[in-house]
Amino acid sequence: MNTVSILKYYFNLIAAYVTYYFKYGISLFSDYPAEIKVAVSASAFSVLLIIIMIVTLFYLSYQKKRRIKLNRRIEKRFGKGIDFMLSEGSRKRMSRYEIADVFEIDRENVGKELLKNNREKEAFVDYFYQLFITVRSDLANRDNITTFLFLFGIPEFLEKEVSLRSMKRKVRYMSMIRTFKLPVSPWVINKLLSSKYLRVQRMAMYSNIMLSSDSDLDYFETDFFDKHCCIKDEIELAYSLQRRRKAGRKLPNLARWANLQKNERSQCMFVRLMRRFNQLQYCDQLTELYKTQPRKKKLIEEISRTWGYLNYSDGEDLLVDALLIQPDDTKVAIMHALTRFATGKSLGALLEGYYNTTNPHVRFEAIRCIYNYGEEGRAKFYELKQNALETDLKLFDFFDNPITLEKIRLDKEQAYHPSVETVYNS
Amino acid sequence: MWIAIYYVFCYLVFGYTMLLMLSYLYLVFMSRQSQKHIDVNIPDDETIKYFLQGSPLTPAVSIIAPAFNEEVTILDNVNSLMQIDYPNFEIIIVNDASTDRTLELLINEYKLVEVPYDIAMKVQSKPIKRVLKSTDPKYSKLVVVDKEHGGKKADGSNAGINVCSNKYFVCTDVDCIIEPMALYRMMWLVVNSHRPMIGVGATMLMSNGCIVEDGRVVEAAVPNTLIPMFQQMEYLRSFLISKLGWSGINALPNISGGFGLFDTDVAVKSGGYDPTSMAEDVDMMLRMVTYMKNTGQDFRLAQVPQVCCWTEGPNTIKTLCRQRIRWARGLFEIISNHRKMFFNPHFGPIGAFVLPYIFIFEFIAPVLEMTGFLFMIWLIFTGGVNWDSAILLFGMIYIFSVFMAVFVIFCDYSTKAVNWKNTKISYLKLLLVTLLEPFIYHPLITYCSNLGYWQFISNQTSVWKPIQRRGVKKKKS
Repeated sequence: MNTVSILKYYFNLIAAYVTYYFKYGISLFSDYPAEIKVAVSASAFSVLLIIIMIVTLFYLSYQKKRRIKLNRRIEKRFGKGIDFMLSEGSRKRMSRYEIADVFEIDRENVGKELLKNNREKEAFVDYFYQLFITVRSDLANRDNITTFLFLFGIPEFLEKEVSLRSMKRKVRYMSMIRTFKLPVSPWVINKLLSSKYLRVQRMAMYSNIMLSSDSDLDYFETDFFDKHCCIKDEIELAYSLQRRRKAGRKLPNLARWANLQKNERSQCMFVRLMRRFNQLQYCDQLTELYKTQPRKKKLIEEISRTWGYLNYSDGEDLLVDALLIQPDDTKVAIMHALTRFATGKSLGALLEGYYNTTNPHVRFEAIRCIYNYGEEGRAKFYELKQNALETDLKLFDFFDNPITLEKIRLDKEQAYHPSVETVYNS
Repeated sequence: MWIAIYYVFCYLVFGYTMLLMLSYLYLVFMSRQSQKHIDVNIPDDETIKYFLQGSPLTPAVSIIAPAFNEEVTILDNVNSLMQIDYPNFEIIIVNDASTDRTLELLINEYKLVEVPYDIAMKVQSKPIKRVLKSTDPKYSKLVVVDKEHGGKKADGSNAGINVCSNKYFVCTDVDCIIEPMALYRMMWLVVNSHRPMIGVGATMLMSNGCIVEDGRVVEAAVPNTLIPMFQQMEYLRSFLISKLGWSGINALPNISGGFGLFDTDVAVKSGGYDPTSMAEDVDMMLRMVTYMKNTGQDFRLAQVPQVCCWTEGPNTIKTLCRQRIRWARGLFEIISNHRKMFFNPHFGPIGAFVLPYIFIFEFIAPVLEMTGFLFMIWLIFTGGVNWDSAILLFGMIYIFSVFMAVFVIFCDYSTKAVNWKNTKISYLKLLLVTLLEPFIYHPLITYCSNLGYWQFISNQTSVWKPIQRRGVKKKKS
């Protein structure tokens, strides 16, 4: 008898027992009314579920204990070395042998498997990742960390895992690769790009933006982000583009990507990214979008902000024309943009914006813009203040207070996010 | 005739019980689905922090905490709020014309000065007298609003919304203890949502029995006294089964007033909190949903399973009854004010499923239970009880309630909702109270709910009295 037939035999035996007792149970209650049968079945079902959950709880608890034990072992063996790698001590570039010395590994064993199996590697990389993101060390040498990870065979392990494991693991290990800034083989990314999971695809796309040449970005020439688009996508894209720029690669034309999307949310995202990456040279490509889609108020708002921030003064006339017809939030964005240009042509428009509104917030923002509109604007501000109604006076007073002025400065920074260098984990 | 009524009533109650159990099973299933989704999509706290901390794109949040006569605890509470770990937030303390030294203490401690401020009265509240900010950069996140007395938390919250300058706001009570990672956990759902997130709820538990150090819960434990212990189990059940389950189909009916995150713009356009309402949090939530549906906008409501906020609950039967009578009146008010949403598919799953569920299984249940109880007494005296069947049916409900308790524990363990100091003892305590609940706690709550309904129908005025706080245990430094 082989194993399969033995298993089959026992399975049939158990099935027979279960069927017998099930039928026996039913026969016991055959003469009872339906409500009793229902009550007994519901109770039995509840008891069964309770047993299953208790067994699962014990199993989860056992697994947790095992994991903790393994983590302790990893910490005991490599904790000190990892701490050193993340500290100032490893600032100087080190060779793999020097790193091996830190971990008290025999130089003869360098290049061999230092971690026994995948379970150990998993625990090791999890332990290191937790420390890495908690310490957030800027002191450690990145090259040393890469060498150290290669020494333990981690990049190969991660590459293998992302191409084999479940979606959760794929995403987790992919983000580890990105966090540790490990080089990834193009085949891994290409494989993940065709994954059935959207999150995995996106993760691969971000990595591709970071690493690939210009021609490889063609697949962006679609409305891919129309499917789903969230703030996290923007954070990831900003990070990838920043890394690309740091590596000296050319940044893609984000205005073109904005034009290719149909969803307002994703269009706004690319317009905001243009602002972040100072793509003044492509600002003219937004004009068409601005003219043809006036109903998308968020998009108009973002384009106005971007033009303002990038000082694209060719768009000034369009903004002035739109100022009085757009809804309040967009109006505020346009006024801020005109203030950034401060060409002298649009002060009149700002004054119109101030007079032609009943919304106190827009009024307040108009005053703010006039105040910030160079010397000419400042003079107009004080002139308006002298003739202002009593109800408006507190709005003008706001700008003469040092604490609120500080707030204005901060608000302004927040509104435009001027520093790309602070984008995500720099 | 009486026999016919007797049978109809018995079968009605039986059918109702079975339907209720089936709806709980559905919620259990939905909650499990949500947990699986969370398990795949939400990483651990450190990863979330790492991701959001360094990005200027992380949305800013305003924390609004109204305060009235809180001189004893106000400084501790504000210090606790200051310890929240998040890169971009402001704290707005709204002083609702306290008659004690609340404002004075704040001014002295944080070196506050009056500043001119951009206040547009976007939602209705009593006039704001002044806005104060600290001259010390250390407290630059703090804004104190001094307003005329409104008498209700909703009025204070509205004043806070008027001052708030961020896209999202969190409404809380000044005496709540907020977990340092709370905002990260909530905002993770916001940044990951493909649809505009208009509200995020978080699990809120009782701080009775916990040990607090420097405004943080350092040792989470199940309370040792019976009344808070029952409530702890009830809170866990509500957050980890009902709310998590409903959030799975984007139909969260309520984000707790004690700690919830909202989209400022949508809250303002829906009119903010209603100061005249007894259940202002549910009321605002439903108005927000109505606004989004009426304007044809897509939206998302979500629930965080991890505990984000601790609050001290009623310690005595008297205070508990007072609270539950108020809640029952609030429920009645919601049912009557938002009746157009009930059974109305225009409002999505909330109108089609959740509100009918609340009406049938939460609103009617206490009345039916009370009737059933009186009916049972009558049957005992007339000798009409079939004891075998009665015991069997009671056993079924009892076993099912144990199943629900075990599921809550299972959820808590698998989602790591609470970091208990002693997990085994906590779970044992929770199981123990579940065994006692049908005999002590449940009848009490049923009685209070019926009393609340009666007060609402008979139009009795209610005076809101704050819960007498005993304070949480503090660790000696």
